[in-house]
Amino acid sequence: MAEKKRSKRFETLEQRPVHKDGFTGEWVDVGLIAMGSPNDPIPSIKIAGGKVVEMDGIKREDFNMNEQFVADYAIDLEMAPKAMAMSEKEIAHKLVDINVPRTECTKIMQGLTPAKIARVMDCLNIAEIILAMQKMRTRQTPGTQAHITSATDNPVMLVADAAEGALRGFTEMETTVAVVRYAPLNALSLLIGAQVGRPGTLTQCALEEAFELQIGMRGLTAYAETISVYGTENVFIDGDDTPWSKAFLASCYASRGLKMRFTSGTGSEVQMGAAEGKSMLYLEVLCIMITKGAGVQGLQNGSISCIGVPGAVPSGLRAIAAENLVTVALDMEVASGNDQTFSHSDLRRTARTMPQFFAGTDYIFSGYSGTPNYDNMFAGSNWDIEDQDDYLALQRDFKVDGGNRPVTEDETVAVRNRAARALQAVYEEFGFPPITDEEVEQATYANGSKDIKPRNVPEDLKAAEKLLKEGITGVDVVKALAKRGYNDIAEKVLMMLKQRVSGDYLQTSAWVTKDGYVWSAVNDPNEYAGPMTGYQLSPERWEEIKNIPWAVRPEDI
Amino acid sequence: MQFNEDLLRKVIEEVMAEVAAPAAAAAPAKTIVTEGTVSKIKWTPLGNAKRGTDPREVVVALPPAFGDQFQKTIIDVPHAEVLRQVFAGIEEEGCNYRVIKVYHTADVAFIAHAGAKLSGSGIGIGILSRGTSVIHQRELAPLANLELFPQCPLLDAEVFRQIGKNAAKYAKGENPVPVPTRNDPMARPRYQGFAALLHNKEASYLDRGKAPVEFTVEIA
Repeated sequence: MAEKKRSKRFETLEQRPVHKDGFTGEWVDVGLIAMGSPNDPIPSIKIAGGKVVEMDGIKREDFNMNEQFVADYAIDLEMAPKAMAMSEKEIAHKLVDINVPRTECTKIMQGLTPAKIARVMDCLNIAEIILAMQKMRTRQTPGTQAHITSATDNPVMLVADAAEGALRGFTEMETTVAVVRYAPLNALSLLIGAQVGRPGTLTQCALEEAFELQIGMRGLTAYAETISVYGTENVFIDGDDTPWSKAFLASCYASRGLKMRFTSGTGSEVQMGAAEGKSMLYLEVLCIMITKGAGVQGLQNGSISCIGVPGAVPSGLRAIAAENLVTVALDMEVASGNDQTFSHSDLRRTARTMPQFFAGTDYIFSGYSGTPNYDNMFAGSNWDIEDQDDYLALQRDFKVDGGNRPVTEDETVAVRNRAARALQAVYEEFGFPPITDEEVEQATYANGSKDIKPRNVPEDLKAAEKLLKEGITGVDVVKALAKRGYNDIAEKVLMMLKQRVSGDYLQTSAWVTKDGYVWSAVNDPNEYAGPMTGYQLSPERWEEIKNIPWAVRPEDI
Repeated sequence: MQFNEDLLRKVIEEVMAEVAAPAAAAAPAKTIVTEGTVSKIKWTPLGNAKRGTDPREVVVALPPAFGDQFQKTIIDVPHAEVLRQVFAGIEEEGCNYRVIKVYHTADVAFIAHAGAKLSGSGIGIGILSRGTSVIHQRELAPLANLELFPQCPLLDAEVFRQIGKNAAKYAKGENPVPVPTRNDPMARPRYQGFAALLHNKEASYLDRGKAPVEFTVEIA
C-alpha cells in the first residue's frame, strides 16, 4: 500500500514543542480527572450535639481519618448550616463580586464541606478565578519565592546565587540537595547569601521533615514549607503519617518561633496510585482543609511536583488556579506553585503562570528557579533565571508587580562576590574545606555550576557531618562573620534569629523587611474592593519596574 | 519515548482488571521464572527475610512486581539488566548481596529502608519497577537517604552499576563520591503522566499485610 500522503501543515505542527508534552484523556475510575469526577461526593452536612455526624453523604462512623480531621477541625459549625444552604452559584458570585467584602467570603467558605467547595470552584471560569484571587488573597502586597539549588551542591555557587536572588526581590528562598548529606551546608550558604543580597529574606531547606525542623531550630533556616499532606488515607499511610502527626509537627515549628506552611497539590494522589476515583481538585480541597484544621498559617499548592498529571488532562490548569483560590478563600497564605517544569512549550508554560501573575498572590512562585534549570534540584522550575528578563518585561508590559526588580550587572557581581567572600571566611573559621580565591572569582561571574570547578565532595560531606555533630548554630555563624569583619552581615543574620523570639513572622503571610520589620496579613490585609482599591503600585515601585536596563532612553538619542 | 492514549488506556485497563480480581494470583511458594525481553529472571523464595549478620552485605529491596509483572524500567532497561548491573557493582567492591521483596509499600524510601534494616552492613538499595532508586542506611530516618535517584527516566545500566558499587563502598565503611546526579528539567513534562500510571500498577500488586520475603535470583 502506498504511504499515506502527509499534510506539510500537520507535519510542521507535530514538530512543535507542545507535541513533546504528555496529554492524556480523562479516566474517571483511577481519578485521572481534574475537576468534577462523578465519584466525588455530593455536598451535605448534618450536625448534632456540636459535632458533624454526616459530611458529604458520609456518616461519621464511616469517616476515614482525613474526613474525621476535616469534620472536627476545619468546618465552622456555627456558619455551616447557613453556608451549606447557599447554592454553589451564589457562593461563586460572592467570591467574584467586588461589593461583597473578602471577610464575608472567608466566613462563608469556612462553613463549607470539601465537596461543596469543589463544586463552587467548578462554577468559576479562569477569568473569574483571577478576579477572585485578586480579592481573596490574604496579604495585600504580592510577593514571590525562589529556588536556589546546585546540581553539584557547590556551596560557593549557592551563596552567590542566594545573594543575587535576594537582590532581585525574592522575599523567600528555598534550597534542596543533589546529595542529601550536603543539606546543612546548602542551608548555611542560603542563610548568608540571602542576608548579603537583601537583608530580611527568609530561607529554607526542603528535606526530610525531622531534619528540616532540626536545622530550623538551629537557626540555619528561617522557615519551612515541605510538610506534605494528602487527600486520601492510603497516601498518608504510605508516608507513615496522619493529619494529627502533621499537626503535631506544625506545632513544633510554632513553639520554636519558626514560620512554616504545609504543601499539597492536585495530582499527588493519582500519582501515588490511591486517588479512589475522586477528582484531583476534590482531594486537594481535603488537603487544604486539613491544613486549615491543623491551624497552619499557609499552604504551598498549585499541583507542585505532580503538575505533569493535572497538566496532562482537560481543565487541569484551571483546577490548579482554583486550588490556590480555595487556600486564600479559607484565609490562609498561598505559595502558588509555578515551581515545576510541566511543558516543553514556552507558550504553555507562560500561560500557566499568568493567572497568578495577573491576580497577584502571597508568593506567585513557590520556586522561581534562581539558577539555570540544569542546576534546579527540584527537577526544574516553570521559569528559571534565564527567563528573568522576559519576566521583568512582562511586569513592565502589564504594569504588574510580580515581585522582581531589574538589577544591574555591576551590583549583581558585587553582591555575589561579597557573599562568596563571607562564606569563604566562615568556612575557614569553622575549619571546613577551604574555599579558594579562584572559586570565589568563578562563582562571582558564573551562570551555573558548569562555570565553576568541582569541589572535593567527600571532604565537604565530612564538613556537613561536623556541622551537625558539633552543634553549630546560627549564633556560631554570627560570631564567625563578626570575627572576620563582616559585621553588617552578622547583624542581619542575628536579626533573622531574633525573629523567632518575637514571633511576629508567625502571622499569616509574613515577610521581613531589610530592617527586620514584619509585614503580614495582619498589618497589610487585602482590602481589594474593585478598581482603585487594594494593592496599588507606589510611584517608586513603578519607576523601578519601568526601568529595565536594556530599554532605549529617549533622552539619550 | 513516545506514549499515546492507546498505551495509557491499555495500562489502565490492566490495572483495573487486576484491582478487580485481586486474589486470583496468590503467590505460589515455588520458583517462578519470568520472561524478560532479553533474559529470564528465576526467583526462588526463601521465606520471610531475616536480618543478616554479614557485615559486607548489601540488601537489594524490590517491590513485588519487579521482574515479574513488570520487566523493564520506564526507559526500557530490562529488569534482568538492572539487577545484573547492581549485583556486579556490589561484587566488584568485594561485597555480597541478598535480594528481598517488600510487599507492604510502594514508597521507594520505605522499601530501601526495609532493606537497610535487614542488611548485615546496614546498607540497602531500593529500586522501583520504573527504575527510581535509593541507597539507604539503617540508622537514617526513612525519608532521609545516602543517595537518591529520583528521576527514573535518567537511570541507565551504567548508573545502576554505580549504585551497586557505591552501596558496597558504604557497606565497607567508606565515604565514596556520590554517583553524579543527573537532572533533566524536561523529564517531568514527558514522563510524569506515564509514571503515574506505572505507579498505580506497581501499587496494585502490594500485599499490605505481608512481611518481606528473601529470594535467590538467577539471571539466565
